[in-house]
Amino acid sequence: MTALPIVGFLALSAALVAVGLFGILTRRNFILLLIAIEIAMSAAILNFVYFAAFEGGPVAVMGQSIAIVVIGFAATEVAVGLGIVLALNRVRRSINVAEANELKL
Amino acid sequence: MSVEELAFLALAGVALVTGVAALLVRELVHTILWIALFFIDLAAIYFLLSAPFLGVLQLGVYAGAVTVLLLFGVMVTRKRIFSREAATGLGAVPLALAVVTFIFVVATVGEFPQGQLPVRSVDPSALSEALFGTYGPWLLLLGLVMLSAVSGAIYLVREGRE
Repeated sequence: MTALPIVGFLALSAALVAVGLFGILTRRNFILLLIAIEIAMSAAILNFVYFAAFEGGPVAVMGQSIAIVVIGFAATEVAVGLGIVLALNRVRRSINVAEANELKL
Repeated sequence: MSVEELAFLALAGVALVTGVAALLVRELVHTILWIALFFIDLAAIYFLLSAPFLGVLQLGVYAGAVTVLLLFGVMVTRKRIFSREAATGLGAVPLALAVVTFIFVVATVGEFPQGQLPVRSVDPSALSEALFGTYGPWLLLLGLVMLSAVSGAIYLVREGRE
Protein backbone atom coordinates (compact mmCIF):
# COMPACT_ATOMS: atom_id res chain seq x y z
CA MET A 1 0.00 0.00 0.00
CA THR A 2 1.59 3.23 -1.18
CA ALA A 3 0.97 6.69 0.28
CA LEU A 4 0.67 9.80 -1.86
CA PRO A 5 -0.24 13.48 -1.16
CA ILE A 6 -3.76 14.27 -2.42
CA VAL A 7 -3.12 18.03 -2.73
CA GLY A 8 -0.48 17.45 -5.40
CA PHE A 9 -2.96 15.50 -7.50
CA LEU A 10 -5.61 18.21 -7.15
CA ALA A 11 -3.06 20.85 -8.16
CA LEU A 12 -2.25 18.79 -11.28
CA SER A 13 -5.96 18.70 -12.15
CA ALA A 14 -6.28 22.45 -11.63
CA ALA A 15 -3.27 23.06 -13.88
CA LEU A 16 -4.72 20.80 -16.60
CA VAL A 17 -8.06 22.67 -16.47
CA ALA A 18 -6.15 25.96 -16.81
CA VAL A 19 -4.17 24.63 -19.82
CA GLY A 20 -7.38 23.39 -21.46
CA LEU A 21 -9.16 26.71 -20.84
CA PHE A 22 -6.21 28.60 -22.32
CA GLY A 23 -6.31 26.38 -25.42
CA ILE A 24 -10.08 26.78 -25.85
CA LEU A 25 -9.77 30.57 -25.65
CA THR A 26 -6.77 31.06 -27.95
CA ARG A 27 -6.72 28.38 -30.65
CA ARG A 28 -8.72 28.91 -33.85
CA ASN A 29 -8.26 25.46 -35.40
CA PHE A 30 -11.19 23.11 -34.75
CA ILE A 31 -8.94 20.06 -34.11
CA LEU A 32 -6.80 22.00 -31.62
CA LEU A 33 -10.02 23.11 -29.92
CA LEU A 34 -11.11 19.46 -29.58
CA ILE A 35 -7.71 18.59 -28.10
CA ALA A 36 -7.96 21.45 -25.57
CA ILE A 37 -11.42 20.20 -24.51
CA GLU A 38 -9.97 16.68 -24.10
CA ILE A 39 -7.18 18.03 -21.83
CA ALA A 40 -9.72 19.83 -19.61
CA MET A 41 -11.94 16.73 -19.52
CA SER A 42 -8.98 14.51 -18.51
CA ALA A 43 -8.64 16.65 -15.37
CA ALA A 44 -12.22 15.78 -14.40
CA ILE A 45 -11.64 12.05 -15.00
CA LEU A 46 -8.41 12.22 -12.99
CA ASN A 47 -10.30 13.74 -10.03
CA PHE A 48 -12.73 10.82 -9.96
CA VAL A 49 -9.81 8.38 -10.01
CA TYR A 50 -7.92 10.18 -7.19
CA PHE A 51 -10.85 10.21 -4.82
CA ALA A 52 -11.63 6.59 -5.70
CA ALA A 53 -8.02 5.60 -4.91
CA PHE A 54 -7.88 7.50 -1.61
CA GLU A 55 -11.32 6.42 -0.36
CA GLY A 56 -11.51 2.70 -1.10
CA GLY A 57 -14.54 0.42 -0.75
CA PRO A 58 -17.86 1.05 -2.54
CA VAL A 59 -17.03 4.74 -3.07
CA ALA A 60 -13.94 3.73 -5.04
CA VAL A 61 -16.03 1.40 -7.21
CA MET A 62 -18.48 4.25 -7.85
CA GLY A 63 -15.69 6.69 -8.71
CA GLN A 64 -14.06 4.33 -11.19
CA SER A 65 -17.44 3.50 -12.76
CA ILE A 66 -18.11 7.21 -13.29
CA ALA A 67 -14.60 7.59 -14.76
CA ILE A 68 -15.29 4.79 -17.27
CA VAL A 69 -18.61 6.37 -18.32
CA VAL A 70 -16.97 9.81 -18.70
CA ILE A 71 -14.19 8.30 -20.86
CA GLY A 72 -16.92 6.87 -23.09
CA PHE A 73 -18.68 10.23 -23.35
CA ALA A 74 -15.39 11.99 -24.17
CA ALA A 75 -14.64 9.52 -26.98
CA THR A 76 -18.17 10.07 -28.36
CA GLU A 77 -17.62 13.82 -28.26
CA VAL A 78 -14.44 13.47 -30.35
CA ALA A 79 -16.31 11.36 -32.94
CA VAL A 80 -19.10 13.97 -33.31
CA GLY A 81 -16.53 16.79 -33.30
CA LEU A 82 -14.65 15.20 -36.20
CA GLY A 83 -17.96 14.77 -38.06
CA ILE A 84 -18.46 18.53 -37.69
CA VAL A 85 -14.84 19.12 -38.82
CA LEU A 86 -15.42 17.13 -42.02
CA ALA A 87 -18.74 18.88 -42.76
CA LEU A 88 -17.17 22.30 -42.11
CA ASN A 89 -14.17 21.47 -44.29
CA ARG A 90 -16.43 20.42 -47.17
CA VAL A 91 -18.53 23.61 -47.09
CA ARG A 92 -15.94 26.27 -46.15
CA ARG A 93 -12.68 24.65 -47.35
CA SER A 94 -11.17 25.46 -43.94
CA ILE A 95 -11.46 24.29 -40.34
CA ASN A 96 -10.99 27.71 -38.79
CA VAL A 97 -13.75 28.17 -36.19
CA ALA A 98 -13.75 31.95 -36.80
CA GLU A 99 -15.19 31.29 -40.28
CA ALA A 100 -18.02 29.11 -38.98
CA ASN A 101 -20.18 32.09 -38.10
CA GLU A 102 -23.51 30.72 -39.36
CA LEU A 103 -25.51 27.90 -37.79
CA LYS A 104 -26.44 26.59 -41.23
CA LEU A 105 -23.59 24.63 -42.78
CA MET B 1 10.74 11.24 -0.50
CA SER B 2 9.43 7.86 -1.56
CA VAL B 3 9.70 6.31 -5.01
CA GLU B 4 5.94 6.76 -5.56
CA GLU B 5 6.14 10.49 -4.82
CA LEU B 6 9.06 10.92 -7.22
CA ALA B 7 7.14 8.94 -9.86
CA PHE B 8 4.09 11.15 -9.33
CA LEU B 9 6.14 14.37 -9.64
CA ALA B 10 7.78 13.12 -12.85
CA LEU B 11 4.44 12.02 -14.35
CA ALA B 12 2.74 15.30 -13.39
CA GLY B 13 5.60 17.27 -14.97
CA VAL B 14 5.40 15.24 -18.18
CA ALA B 15 1.59 15.69 -18.27
CA LEU B 16 1.88 19.48 -18.00
CA VAL B 17 4.75 19.79 -20.50
CA THR B 18 3.09 17.56 -23.12
CA GLY B 19 -0.30 19.25 -22.63
CA VAL B 20 1.16 22.74 -23.12
CA ALA B 21 3.40 21.60 -25.99
CA ALA B 22 0.39 20.06 -27.79
CA LEU B 23 -1.34 23.44 -27.81
CA LEU B 24 1.71 25.54 -28.70
CA VAL B 25 3.50 23.67 -31.54
CA ARG B 26 2.71 24.95 -35.03
CA GLU B 27 2.36 21.67 -36.94
CA LEU B 28 -0.88 19.75 -36.34
CA VAL B 29 0.78 16.34 -36.69
CA HIS B 30 3.26 17.26 -33.95
CA THR B 31 0.31 18.35 -31.79
CA ILE B 32 -1.19 14.88 -32.16
CA LEU B 33 2.13 13.21 -31.27
CA TRP B 34 2.34 15.35 -28.09
CA ILE B 35 -1.26 14.59 -27.16
CA ALA B 36 -0.61 10.85 -27.62
CA LEU B 37 2.27 11.16 -25.11
CA PHE B 38 -0.09 13.08 -22.79
CA PHE B 39 -2.67 10.26 -22.90
CA ILE B 40 -0.01 7.59 -22.25
CA ASP B 41 1.25 9.64 -19.29
CA LEU B 42 -2.29 9.80 -17.86
CA ALA B 43 -2.52 6.01 -18.18
CA ALA B 44 0.71 5.77 -16.15
CA ILE B 45 -0.88 7.98 -13.45
CA TYR B 46 -3.88 5.59 -13.34
CA PHE B 47 -1.50 2.64 -12.87
CA LEU B 48 0.25 4.59 -10.07
CA LEU B 49 -3.14 5.08 -8.37
CA SER B 50 -3.65 1.27 -8.63
CA ALA B 51 -6.50 1.54 -11.12
CA PRO B 52 -5.10 -0.83 -13.77
CA PHE B 53 -8.41 -1.37 -15.57
CA LEU B 54 -8.82 2.38 -16.14
CA GLY B 55 -5.19 2.59 -17.23
CA VAL B 56 -5.70 -0.06 -19.91
CA LEU B 57 -8.96 1.65 -20.98
CA GLN B 58 -7.10 4.96 -21.24
CA LEU B 59 -4.42 3.35 -23.42
CA GLY B 60 -6.98 1.69 -25.68
CA VAL B 61 -9.58 4.45 -25.99
CA TYR B 62 -7.49 7.62 -25.78
CA ALA B 63 -3.94 6.74 -26.83
CA GLY B 64 -5.37 4.38 -29.46
CA ALA B 65 -8.76 5.34 -30.83
CA VAL B 66 -8.95 9.09 -30.15
CA THR B 67 -5.38 9.70 -31.40
CA VAL B 68 -6.02 7.82 -34.65
CA LEU B 69 -9.35 9.63 -35.08
CA LEU B 70 -7.65 13.03 -34.67
CA LEU B 71 -4.87 12.01 -37.09
CA PHE B 72 -7.57 10.93 -39.55
CA GLY B 73 -9.24 14.32 -39.16
CA VAL B 74 -5.97 16.10 -39.98
CA MET B 75 -5.35 13.76 -42.93
CA VAL B 76 -8.68 14.42 -44.68
CA THR B 77 -8.85 18.15 -44.08
CA ARG B 78 -5.51 19.17 -45.59
CA LYS B 79 -3.64 18.48 -48.80
CA ARG B 80 -0.27 18.06 -47.10
CA ILE B 81 -0.43 16.83 -43.54
CA PHE B 82 2.82 18.57 -42.55
CA SER B 83 1.50 22.06 -43.18
CA ARG B 84 2.03 24.71 -40.58
CA GLU B 85 -0.74 26.38 -38.66
CA ALA B 86 -1.05 30.17 -38.81
CA ALA B 87 0.31 31.69 -35.61
CA THR B 88 -2.54 32.73 -33.35
CA GLY B 89 -0.34 34.07 -30.55
CA LEU B 90 -0.69 33.63 -26.82
CA GLY B 91 -3.24 36.32 -25.99
CA ALA B 92 -2.79 38.17 -22.70
CA VAL B 93 -6.41 37.89 -21.55
CA PRO B 94 -6.80 34.08 -22.02
CA LEU B 95 -3.41 33.53 -20.35
CA ALA B 96 -4.42 35.70 -17.38
CA LEU B 97 -7.80 33.94 -17.17
CA ALA B 98 -6.10 30.53 -17.14
CA VAL B 99 -3.67 31.62 -14.39
CA VAL B 100 -6.53 33.08 -12.30
CA THR B 101 -8.52 29.83 -12.70
CA PHE B 102 -5.51 27.80 -11.55
CA ILE B 103 -4.92 30.03 -8.49
CA PHE B 104 -8.63 30.02 -7.60
CA VAL B 105 -8.92 26.21 -7.81
CA VAL B 106 -5.70 25.67 -5.83
CA ALA B 107 -6.89 28.13 -3.16
CA THR B 108 -10.13 26.19 -2.76
CA VAL B 109 -8.45 22.78 -2.34
CA GLY B 110 -6.82 23.94 0.92
CA GLU B 111 -9.44 22.20 3.07
CA PHE B 112 -8.53 18.72 1.78
CA PRO B 113 -6.20 16.55 3.88
CA GLN B 114 -2.68 17.91 3.52
CA GLY B 115 -0.79 14.76 4.48
CA GLN B 116 -0.29 11.58 2.55
CA LEU B 117 -3.17 9.19 2.05
CA PRO B 118 -2.80 5.48 1.36
CA VAL B 119 -3.81 4.35 -2.11
CA ARG B 120 -6.35 1.53 -1.97
CA SER B 121 -6.69 -0.72 -4.98
CA VAL B 122 -10.09 -1.73 -6.34
CA ASP B 123 -10.85 -5.33 -7.19
CA PRO B 124 -11.67 -5.44 -10.93
CA SER B 125 -14.37 -8.05 -10.33
CA ALA B 126 -16.13 -5.69 -7.87
CA LEU B 127 -15.81 -2.92 -10.47
CA SER B 128 -17.39 -5.01 -13.21
CA GLU B 129 -20.18 -6.17 -10.88
CA ALA B 130 -21.00 -2.55 -10.04
CA LEU B 131 -20.66 -1.40 -13.64
CA PHE B 132 -23.10 -4.01 -15.01
CA GLY B 133 -25.28 -4.20 -11.89
CA THR B 134 -25.75 -1.05 -9.84
CA TYR B 135 -24.65 1.38 -12.55
CA GLY B 136 -26.06 -0.67 -15.44
CA PRO B 137 -28.60 2.01 -16.45
CA TRP B 138 -25.77 4.53 -16.85
CA LEU B 139 -23.87 2.15 -19.11
CA LEU B 140 -27.06 1.65 -21.13
CA LEU B 141 -27.48 5.44 -21.37
CA LEU B 142 -23.87 5.70 -22.57
CA GLY B 143 -24.64 3.15 -25.30
CA LEU B 144 -27.73 5.11 -26.39
CA VAL B 145 -25.76 8.38 -26.46
CA MET B 146 -23.03 6.71 -28.54
CA LEU B 147 -25.64 5.33 -30.98
CA SER B 148 -27.28 8.73 -31.45
CA ALA B 149 -23.86 10.39 -31.76
CA VAL B 150 -22.79 7.97 -34.50
CA SER B 151 -26.07 8.49 -36.39
CA GLY B 152 -25.59 12.25 -36.05
CA ALA B 153 -22.01 12.05 -37.33
CA ILE B 154 -23.12 9.94 -40.33
CA TYR B 155 -25.88 12.49 -41.06
CA LEU B 156 -23.30 15.31 -40.98
CA VAL B 157 -20.83 13.72 -43.41
CA ARG B 158 -23.15 11.81 -45.73
CA GLU B 159 -22.86 12.12 -49.50
CA GLY B 160 -24.93 14.54 -51.55
CA ARG B 161 -25.40 17.11 -48.83
CA GLU B 162 -24.06 20.51 -49.78
